[in-house]
Amino acid sequence: MRLSKLLTVSALAVSLAVPAMTGAAFAQDKPVVGLVMKSLANEFFKNMLEGAEAHAAEKGTYELRAVGMQSETDIETQINAVENFITQQVDVIVIAPADSRALIAPLKRAADAGIEVVNIDVELDPQAKTDAGVELAFVGPDNREGARMSGDTLAAELGQGGKVVILEGNPGADNAIQRKLGFDDSIAANGLELVDSRTAHWETEEANSVFTNMLTANPDIQGVMAANDSMALGVVKALEAANRTDIKVVGFDNISAIRPMIQEGKVLATVDQFGSQMAAQAIDKALEVLAGAPPLEGWIKTDLALITADTQN
Amino acid sequence: MSDRHLVKESEAGMPETIASVPSPSGSALKLTQIKKRFGGIIALDGVDLALERGEIHGLVGENGAGKSTLIKTLCGIVHRDSGTMTLGGQPYEPSGPREAKRAGVQVVHQEFNLMPHLTVAENVCFEHLPRQWGVFLDRDEMNARARKALDAVGLSEVPVTANVQSLGIALRQLVEIARALMSDSSILVLDEPTATLTSHEAQRLFQLVHELADKGVAVLLVTHHLNEIMDHCDRITVMRNGVSVETMPIAEASTERLIQSMVGRRLAGELASDHPSFATDKVMLSVRGLVHTSSKNSKGVSLDLHKGEILGIGGLVGAGRTEFLRALFGIESASSGSILRNGRTTPYSKPSEAIKDGIAFVTEDRKDEGLILRMPIAANICLADMRKVSSRGLLSRSRETSLAKKLGAKLALKYGGPQDAVSTLSGGNQQKVVLAKWLSRDPKILILDEPTRGVDVGAKAEIYALLRDFAAEGRGLIVVSSEINELMALCDRILVMANHRITGELKRPEFSEENILRLAYQFGDDSQTGVH
Amino acid sequence: MIETPTTPPPASRSPMVKNIIRESGIAIALLLLVLVFSLTTEHFLTTANVTNILTQVTINLILGVGITFVILIGGIDLSVGSVLALCAVVGGTVMNLPGLGVIEAVTFATLASVAVGIACGMLNGLISAYWGLPSFIVTLGMLNIARGAALTVTDARTIYSFPPAFNAFGSQTFFGVPLVFLVALLLVLVSWFVLTRTVFGRILYGIGNNEEAVRLAGHPVFWYKVAAFTIAGAAVGVGAMIYVARLNIASPIIGVGFELNAIAAVIIGGTSLNGGRGSVLGTLLGAFIIGVLANGLVLLGLSDFMRQMITGGVIILAVIVDKYRERLST
Repeated sequence: MRLSKLLTVSALAVSLAVPAMTGAAFAQDKPVVGLVMKSLANEFFKNMLEGAEAHAAEKGTYELRAVGMQSETDIETQINAVENFITQQVDVIVIAPADSRALIAPLKRAADAGIEVVNIDVELDPQAKTDAGVELAFVGPDNREGARMSGDTLAAELGQGGKVVILEGNPGADNAIQRKLGFDDSIAANGLELVDSRTAHWETEEANSVFTNMLTANPDIQGVMAANDSMALGVVKALEAANRTDIKVVGFDNISAIRPMIQEGKVLATVDQFGSQMAAQAIDKALEVLAGAPPLEGWIKTDLALITADTQN
Repeated sequence: MSDRHLVKESEAGMPETIASVPSPSGSALKLTQIKKRFGGIIALDGVDLALERGEIHGLVGENGAGKSTLIKTLCGIVHRDSGTMTLGGQPYEPSGPREAKRAGVQVVHQEFNLMPHLTVAENVCFEHLPRQWGVFLDRDEMNARARKALDAVGLSEVPVTANVQSLGIALRQLVEIARALMSDSSILVLDEPTATLTSHEAQRLFQLVHELADKGVAVLLVTHHLNEIMDHCDRITVMRNGVSVETMPIAEASTERLIQSMVGRRLAGELASDHPSFATDKVMLSVRGLVHTSSKNSKGVSLDLHKGEILGIGGLVGAGRTEFLRALFGIESASSGSILRNGRTTPYSKPSEAIKDGIAFVTEDRKDEGLILRMPIAANICLADMRKVSSRGLLSRSRETSLAKKLGAKLALKYGGPQDAVSTLSGGNQQKVVLAKWLSRDPKILILDEPTRGVDVGAKAEIYALLRDFAAEGRGLIVVSSEINELMALCDRILVMANHRITGELKRPEFSEENILRLAYQFGDDSQTGVH
Repeated sequence: MIETPTTPPPASRSPMVKNIIRESGIAIALLLLVLVFSLTTEHFLTTANVTNILTQVTINLILGVGITFVILIGGIDLSVGSVLALCAVVGGTVMNLPGLGVIEAVTFATLASVAVGIACGMLNGLISAYWGLPSFIVTLGMLNIARGAALTVTDARTIYSFPPAFNAFGSQTFFGVPLVFLVALLLVLVSWFVLTRTVFGRILYGIGNNEEAVRLAGHPVFWYKVAAFTIAGAAVGVGAMIYVARLNIASPIIGVGFELNAIAAVIIGGTSLNGGRGSVLGTLLGAFIIGVLANGLVLLGLSDFMRQMITGGVIILAVIVDKYRERLST
């Protein structure tokens, strides 16, 4: 239970959101790419940043300037970062938006200033984009499809009528919503029974408590769909404590801590959306446009892979 | 609030125009058989009080006699259980302080009700801040009104834009009075208005009170200072145990009679000054040139304290007496000077050093510095010497209780039980708890800053007796007091301070109010600066 | 203030009785909650669920007990959640050092975790006491410092392999009572003893009520304040190791917002945010009220959002009730 995550988050936001600038400041000849990330405390975005840095070093044809946030919901710092990039007159902005609506206005200003803007990770709200009269391409994974893949693996194991619960991410977060929808799709398509669905705010300890309580209320649960692997870890510990080996768990994200669990069969499946390559892919697409290719449009989907004990070996 | 009302305010809200009461005499406020109980405690048990227009009416009584409850009833904070109140002949039923003010009853409370971080003008005008366009604060108007109000109480030297916090305690009291006078008033209640004032400032206050009375305002003056009653009142009502005992015209009153009426018994001569001295020639403590860091005077303070001596320090508020004591006890640092005691020569750098050297400090402000009000009596008494009631860090409740009982008995402390919170005690008994706390360490030297502030006459006499006992036991006492009578009654010798230095020393035969005041007003090195 | 009458007041209640009145108010609220959930849900009053609740309150309780010391002296500690993460990752790193046997690894890791907690707490105390800064601000700074340090230590990665024996400790129960809860209970009892029976505890209460009076009585207020913050930090170190043992991960992003839950437990438990009044027994009950609510409302099938609103309401209610309780007991 989070009494007021908001307070902590805003406390973090007030304090230190120091942009981590990389690259030389006056490399006039090369195009400059501004990368706006979410929380670098999250392994997923850290991997993405490292992937982009490796990509930039390898290609050497552009200059990368990356900015990270302190927390997942630090919208203000992202807006500031976009505005700073406009001031610096970068050529490309690649952004993983912390909010699907709040970032549209500053990004429109960037696009109007002639900057090639590419949206990654979470898609900006299409309706809001239309309302603002701006067209921004989205390069990213289909979270809903990924969750469906993860859910389908669980459904195949349980069979028709299997009783499942969902652990959701932060209420209101777009990837949380998409993953929940994907799980719902899978439940509907495979005739599973959804017993309960609750948020554990992406967190291990909270998932552990919340799932334990759900299990107490519904001892006949057969499967768990966790919207990320951190929560799946908490579920696994809860199952161990309750001595329940019959309940199957699927997760999402393929973080390193989940891999041994998959090996041992404690987690049935997770989904890798290759975050480390997402930013690099988006940068490539944007550089192509700078070089004369037609402008990017709509949703350019990135790869998704289902990870199970079979695929790991 | 309507504009019309505002206009009326800005015209009529000044003290000069308070005299809206046409007839100079006649009954302004009449209370008959007011009763009030709080749970099982009877606070008022039949109070009769009649205020005439244009009179200054004194209200005296020991702490606990019910004066504060009566004042709260007058301004609508407390609602009486029975009895009648009329104001100008009409029934008077204030539902709260706001309504009481509207009806013309202004109360200046003993506790300060000022907002320290706002300016003087904001404080003075707070009840009716002048507005522009209905929403904006009209700063010029506000400052002008405040200026007028301050001038009316003779505070022309105080800038209205200063923060209240930057004013001394005495000035704040006058600002509070100015604030009360902002509104129309037919009744002005002053609750201990001079508790923090020097005699000069008090003089100024009473001059103002007389002017107001001349304009037809009925003033109710509540004070412990009987000399003020005798000097300024037309009639006096005495309260005891929640009952108004008697009302007498000034012609029939005397200090002796008032005290007798208040305490209901004849006080022993404790308050008189003809007690034997226990002072010896043996010096216990010598201070040489001690300068408090904030002091402007580089010479500092020097004195000797003898075994068995009660040494008084007199002076005006701001003379540097409290600062000297704090530097002496190591609470605040001294920039130079020396302290000679038991072979040491340097000033104490923290209280614990002074305590180890057998010195105790009874501070001026019981509530903020001396006591932990919410905690039990026993816990407070044991605070200065925890070793006595503990072994290896573990507290012993039984030792704590027995120590508290022993010292309580020695000091004739009146209390329910040692585990009662100190806040349940009267002011005099609270002060005894402070004394008991220090006695637990058996100090050789006691420093007392205003030892009887806010204490009633009966308790005052008891405390005097205790202090004399301490001296008789061979302890040395340093007493700072703003009450000249107190110094003269208690001390063997009086030093007078002004401007952070000692301006003179008086021995018993030289004790007199005039001598002390003359030294207290001696600011410059030799010249006697006039006072305005 | 009402004037005290000259007639002696009726014999007032002894502090023991007052304490019981104070504590029993919270205890009655807790019993009511238990009663309601027992009647409305099928599984609430089962051994397994009671074990679950005990497990779920453990970390919040440990943090709450530590914070009680700080709040009693009139301070606040907002950094415990982040410090928990730092302690966990340092402890986790030590436990995974090569060449250590299981017992050494666990011992060193626990010592390291508690040492880190003590260091952070002591720093909070030293800085706020030395410069007289509001601890709200100092610990807000520490909240960020510790979080950043945790991320730096681990390079933002999660540590997830620990000796099986250590994990077994995290989930071991003893007649249905989780071992980790017993650790928390032990901390409560020791703290209760320290606060009520020792000179140290008495002086902490004194500081919370009237710092100046304690200083003038010759006690080194500065060090007592530092000690209170240090105790809070040490409790966080213990809590961090329990977190790791229970959940088998040490991640730099754990513990976000834990401070608010812990402070809520302290406040529901009747400890005054102004300091000087309250007890760890109250914190114990407060932590249980939060834990029972979280558990019972899920069993009841109430939505997450309702759950959050109800918990918020309970905090406000607790403070209102405390106002009345204060009047009752004086």
